[in-house]
Amino acid sequence: MAQGQISGTSNRQLSRLSDQVARVVFLACAILLILVIVSVIIFIGSNAFRIFFADGAQGTSFKEFFTVSNWDPTGNNGNPAYGAAGLILGSVVITLLSVIITAPLAFGLALYFTEAAPRWLATLLQPLIEIFTGMPSVVIGFLGLVILVPFLQKVTASLTGGLQLGGYGWGAATLVLIIMILPTVISVSIDALRAVPGSVREASLALGSTRWQTMSKAILPAAGPGLATAIVLGMARAIGETLAVALVLGGDQLPKDIFTPRVFFQPNVNITYKIVQDFGEVSGAARDAYWTLAFILLVISFLFICVSRYLASRSVYR
Amino acid sequence: MTTQQQVVQAPIPREVRLREQANLVRRLHTGNAIAMGVLVVITTLVVLIFVSIIIWLIVQGASTLINPAFYGMGEDGIAKELYNTFYILILSELFLFPISLAAAIYLIEYARPGPFVTAIHFAAETLAGVPSIVLGLFGFLIFGVVLHLGTSRLSGALTLLCLNFPLGLRLFEDALATVPREMREGGLALGATKWHTIRTVVLPSALPGLITGFILTAGKIIGEAAALIFTMGLFNPANVFTGDPGIASDTLTTRLYYIKGPGGGTLGLTPAQETAVAAGLAAVLILLLLVINLGARGLGRLIQRRITAA
Repeated sequence: MAQGQISGTSNRQLSRLSDQVARVVFLACAILLILVIVSVIIFIGSNAFRIFFADGAQGTSFKEFFTVSNWDPTGNNGNPAYGAAGLILGSVVITLLSVIITAPLAFGLALYFTEAAPRWLATLLQPLIEIFTGMPSVVIGFLGLVILVPFLQKVTASLTGGLQLGGYGWGAATLVLIIMILPTVISVSIDALRAVPGSVREASLALGSTRWQTMSKAILPAAGPGLATAIVLGMARAIGETLAVALVLGGDQLPKDIFTPRVFFQPNVNITYKIVQDFGEVSGAARDAYWTLAFILLVISFLFICVSRYLASRSVYR
Repeated sequence: MTTQQQVVQAPIPREVRLREQANLVRRLHTGNAIAMGVLVVITTLVVLIFVSIIIWLIVQGASTLINPAFYGMGEDGIAKELYNTFYILILSELFLFPISLAAAIYLIEYARPGPFVTAIHFAAETLAGVPSIVLGLFGFLIFGVVLHLGTSRLSGALTLLCLNFPLGLRLFEDALATVPREMREGGLALGATKWHTIRTVVLPSALPGLITGFILTAGKIIGEAAALIFTMGLFNPANVFTGDPGIASDTLTTRLYYIKGPGGGTLGLTPAQETAVAAGLAAVLILLLLVINLGARGLGRLIQRRITAA
């Protein structure tokens, strides 16, 4: 009897102890997440500024880095040059262009999907969007390289003057990016539209609105912040997309004639492409320059996430 | 004011009013029809693009898929890459699944809503937004250089943990949140400790969601490439068929990138062969992802039915 009581007590102590241990382990795992993101910022940030404070010919200045377009950290053509303006311009141009084209497509599909699609189409679309959300970017890049680039080369031959590497460049990268970000933007938009309560639709329809009036005057404004979040998340994905665009950009420098339509169909550059192409082969000061590029990407994506959180906090319906 | 105006205005003849109404109705209906037509066209266009991409990938890779050499050890074979892909999948799930599940358990079962939970969710969103190439460089630096793991499978798996932690956390949080509160209360009312309740009540009833989460993160791991290029390398040592986590490896995705990207023309294959192998790799990847995505749905539903029937 007494023994049973003792073992009962120790059992209870044991289970209370394991309860405490489990709690601490779970907490540690949750804190690990914060640790990871903080160390990403610290480690990449601490390497990012070295290039600006190196002495002599090794370093560069903020002004040169952000305003000059001459990227040659290994000094293939003489002195090392760290003008990243061309790379940054490339990333910005293809991101903006792809988002501008993606937005109406994604919103249109999301509207049709949530408001008007027959059931069979909805059941077909759902897995299709999910599969493309997880599509490996290198597969889309391969597709772009094998189909898109030869096609663009043929179509734009008169524009580029039959350039041998014509077809590579911003144009192909933009189209590839559209395929990459479209599923993300669509699924976030669908969530935003679904969050609009049915009473909004009913109120509008009861006033005698047509379907399209209901969509454009009631549902779209009500889902506004959610749709804006979709756009921002799409941009965050587009700016960091690497292998898909790396396979279809194919350039070393920003082309000379950037103010003609030709620029979209000749080999070009962006940030991620340069990192994945060169990072493994450089060292010393040249490698520091690539850390700076990575830090720029990190800061941009962080800003996008902050904007999307701000937009989400402003939306009425979630 | 309005009544005064109405009094002053001459009454509009009935037929004019009717005609205007009919015009308005016609205009609205035409606008509606055009808009709906545009929506249908957009949807059809996107669906056609998506479906034709999948079909094109499979058709293009089909001739490679039936070629036995494709599954061999040569430069045009993918035996090593297949092994490496599944190796890295298992190795990184060994880290990812318990750690992100534990973090999700803490957030759902233990933490009170407050600044700490907000901070973790903010951290998760920020980490999810970090481009995978940047996380690849981070993994190269911290696992490869600082922790002296070099370019190895272990570095790659740990980098994939960082990359997929936010996704895993969200999926497992969703899975745990579907368990009704009464079940937890029942366990606690019987005198069980919290951990005992979680172990015996919450986790089993969240199982379908957990399995779906596991499969979806597996899909992300198989498809990832940019984060692995600098952490796991693009080349294989002489023997890859070992359990050694310390060796460099490529995977299906990084192999595809290498063949069509920097390694093009260096493998002793003709350009046509290169494209054929790349098409085969793309087809294998897309088939794996199709199986995973459809499997995640089917399996989750099946287990749900088993459990609720039992």
